[in-house]
Amino acid sequence: MTPPPGALLAADNLRKAYGPTNALDGAEFSIHPGEVVAVMGPSGSGKSTLLHCLAGIVTPDSGSITYDGREMSTMSDAQRSALRRSEFGFVFQFGQLVPELTCVENVALPLRLNGTPRKAAERAALSWMQRLEVDDLGRKRPGEVSGGQGQRVAVARALVTDPRVLFADEPTGALDSLNGERVMELLTDAARSTNAAVVLVTHEARVAAYSDREIVVRDGKSRDMERAI
Amino acid sequence: MSVRQWARDLRMGAKFAFTGGREGWIRVLLTAVGVGLGVALLLLTTAIPSALTAREQRGNARADYPSHYDNPERPKTDNTLVIAKLDTTYDNKNVRGRLVQPDGPRATLAPGLTKYPAAGDMIVSPALRELLDSSDGKLLRERLPYRVVGTIGESGLIGSQELAYYAGADDLEQRIGKDWEVARLDAFGATDQTSTRLDPVLILLVLVVFVVLLTPVAVFIAAAVRFGGERRDRRLAALRLVGSDSRMTRRIAAGEALSGSLLGLVFGTVFFLIGREAAGSVQIQDISVFPGDLNPTPALAALVAVAVPAAAVLVTLLAMRGVVIEPLGVVRTAKPARRRLWWRLLLPLAGLAMLYPMFGQGRDQGNFNQLLVIGGILLLLAGVTALLPWVVEAVVGRLGGGGVAWQLAVRRLQMSSGMATRPVNGIAVAVAGAIALQMLFAGIEGDYTKDTGKDLDRAQMQVNTTPGIPLAPVTEKFAALKGVRKVTALGIGSMGNISWRSADGPQRMVQVAIGDCAALRETADLPSCHDGDVFALRSSRNDGGDTKVLAKPGRTLHLGTSEVSGTALDVKWTVPQDLKHARVIKDPNGMEREGFLMTPSALPAQASGALSGEIYLSLDESVPYVKEQVRNTAVTADLFANTTVWASTEQSTKFVKIRIGLLIGVTCVLLLIGASLLVSQLEQLRERKKLLSALVAFGTRRRTLSLSVLWQTAIPITLGLLLASAVGLTLGAVLLKMTAETVSVHWPSVLSMVGIGAGVVLLVTLCSLPPLLRLMRPDGLRTE
Repeated sequence: MTPPPGALLAADNLRKAYGPTNALDGAEFSIHPGEVVAVMGPSGSGKSTLLHCLAGIVTPDSGSITYDGREMSTMSDAQRSALRRSEFGFVFQFGQLVPELTCVENVALPLRLNGTPRKAAERAALSWMQRLEVDDLGRKRPGEVSGGQGQRVAVARALVTDPRVLFADEPTGALDSLNGERVMELLTDAARSTNAAVVLVTHEARVAAYSDREIVVRDGKSRDMERAI
Repeated sequence: MSVRQWARDLRMGAKFAFTGGREGWIRVLLTAVGVGLGVALLLLTTAIPSALTAREQRGNARADYPSHYDNPERPKTDNTLVIAKLDTTYDNKNVRGRLVQPDGPRATLAPGLTKYPAAGDMIVSPALRELLDSSDGKLLRERLPYRVVGTIGESGLIGSQELAYYAGADDLEQRIGKDWEVARLDAFGATDQTSTRLDPVLILLVLVVFVVLLTPVAVFIAAAVRFGGERRDRRLAALRLVGSDSRMTRRIAAGEALSGSLLGLVFGTVFFLIGREAAGSVQIQDISVFPGDLNPTPALAALVAVAVPAAAVLVTLLAMRGVVIEPLGVVRTAKPARRRLWWRLLLPLAGLAMLYPMFGQGRDQGNFNQLLVIGGILLLLAGVTALLPWVVEAVVGRLGGGGVAWQLAVRRLQMSSGMATRPVNGIAVAVAGAIALQMLFAGIEGDYTKDTGKDLDRAQMQVNTTPGIPLAPVTEKFAALKGVRKVTALGIGSMGNISWRSADGPQRMVQVAIGDCAALRETADLPSCHDGDVFALRSSRNDGGDTKVLAKPGRTLHLGTSEVSGTALDVKWTVPQDLKHARVIKDPNGMEREGFLMTPSALPAQASGALSGEIYLSLDESVPYVKEQVRNTAVTADLFANTTVWASTEQSTKFVKIRIGLLIGVTCVLLLIGASLLVSQLEQLRERKKLLSALVAFGTRRRTLSLSVLWQTAIPITLGLLLASAVGLTLGAVLLKMTAETVSVHWPSVLSMVGIGAGVVLLVTLCSLPPLLRLMRPDGLRTE
């Protein structure tokens, strides 16, 4: 199947098994620039695997993924890594900040991995931290900040490279509702301001409410709720 | 707090250690294996003295030389035995050989034998049997053309890998009195068992070797009881949630450590027993031991059994001072107090103070105070472990800049320099000690190394034949061997002023060497030389001594074999009128001869039976097995020929043994510590599995992460090795001062030790790369 017109990232008939378990069983997906798509489903349904496949972290057993017109299955590991470094951003459930780096160093890390000089990278990092209201945490280490603050630092880190696609895997899963909502507001606002597409994996309806469209994954199969309606 | 409370918490800790599921088991196993390896090494070390004593006792029990050989005239009875020493060397290994001929059915039996072999048969040690049966032993088989009919029992050997044989003979009796190596004896065993007292400097060396090798093992054990500490802390946090207070959690942790170390003692005993069996099949520089002889000294073994668990508890309690365990699974590292330098400096300074009184004592003034030596060195080496965390913290605190890999490494070190230095401590201590010892070895080497004076450019092997063996055919056989470039053969006899058969023998005697002109020119500067010439030697060292008195033309002298009294040949010879004089030069042996040189025609025909042979061989050593071929040829020409391979220097065997012991020990210790470094490295990587996967997910190159791991190891190791070099050089200088030697640094030794330490780190890093790459796979992000 050809990807939907204008789709930045699209997947068709994805299959992925871990041993005898089929994590993905013919899943489909597409997202356009600036669009926020929530991937929903119960635990173990395959939504995180779908995200990992879309981001080029995991290679599917079969099926195709196209990013910006390029087939990802033909890319080498190094090419996919370069893509993740420069075009994608990531937020995980537990920020996965590097504990020994300060918050500003954590945010600057993706830029530094792309070769940006340290000072310039940290300047850009501080500006993103400002937008996410955590600029006062710059010199602190992740262990010294609260969960909500840490997750905002992680969002800043995901956005600092101006990614075209932001992958967020249960970004509020470890936060209380108030902090969760604030993180989602900041994340979606920031993404929309840069026209980044957001793939948002969640099982919470109130988080999915920040999306433009929802895809439900169950037993490895996906269902686009907008098209279904 | 009551003892009951302590016991209850320790018991609970023990229970958690063994019932904590897979994670708990892995932690206990890691600790137990680590402690076990350390304990095994300690037990093996404490068993070495007993093994060496047993070796000496075995040697004494079978002694037949020289106490019996110096009395060859023992009467023949039915319990006597004629024995001849036929030791040889094969492929750089010594082979103990004896020819035996029992005088009667009750002939005294050598230890390890149940009966003597018949003529043409031999009884061999298990190692010799194995060698003779293998293709490697082909040339030795030619040298020992006897039929193997039995095996020497353990009691007749000094080591499990010793090469030894007893071969039966029927013509030995007639050689008594003709050969030094043949004698009649009625019992085995050394009559004089007073062993020579070890030189104080060598005792000092042995002490230092032991301290230097055992200190890193102790440091290693301390590191091993902390394996898996982070996972244990998480479990303890869960205990806090259900109501245990912080003191209880510490005691429970101590209980876990105690269980791990007790299991480690069991593992250590098993490893020791396995190692003991394995040691039986190992031979290092001709030294092997029987497993049964490797018995740890009971007092030291008891000390290990008590000290190791006690140290485990102590180390755990000390380590937990820096950790705050809170409920809800939160474990925060307590804000570490700034490390203070002053008390860390006290340790090495106290060590120096203990050693200072022994400065300049040397070997002349005898004993070093062993307690002060051990205490002083221990404190100096412990100073390394105390100073290193401070040095690493101080240095990494000032580091900055660099690429991402460098930044990740430096920041990690800044956050937990203690964790990084812990495994390095062992290597640093081992290297410091080894540097000091190498310096000491290099400093005193001259005292234990003698220049043999042999001229290796002129010859590399020497064969001495017994009196009466005609030299010409032997020389031809050697010359025909592939790889023999030149043969210089001299017949050697003694010329006395009166008959060798007279009651007291000659009062004045000189040596006489017989050979062709080319051979004689190897020993003297001959103006001209023709067959029939006789030369009297002039030495530059003295006024001529007996030569000057005896070398009077027309004087009758007596040529004989002076080696064995009573049965000597005696051939009259008159100093010729045309006696020439020659200036002596050093022969290939490095000796300046005195007496007469003769060409073959100048010698009375009947005199050949009085001459022994001295044959110098120049070899092409690139020809395989040329030395073995020479030895085989020598044996076929003369069973009792003595063959030696020359070396330019020779070292005291005790000195060499201590040096070899050090090398083996240091290598074992460094490998052991390398293993602990690897375990702690893998453990840290496992703890960071999710983070590593996340870093890879957002595009971090694997090379960057690998480099970061390398830096994390390399920085503390570099600092550790620098500190180790400084402490090692200081200790080396102190030890040299104590032995009253000039202090000088033997840089190749220092660099080689530092290189070995760095090599271990590189090896560990290389070994940790495959698991690192595996952990960096995105699967780490999966939670289901």
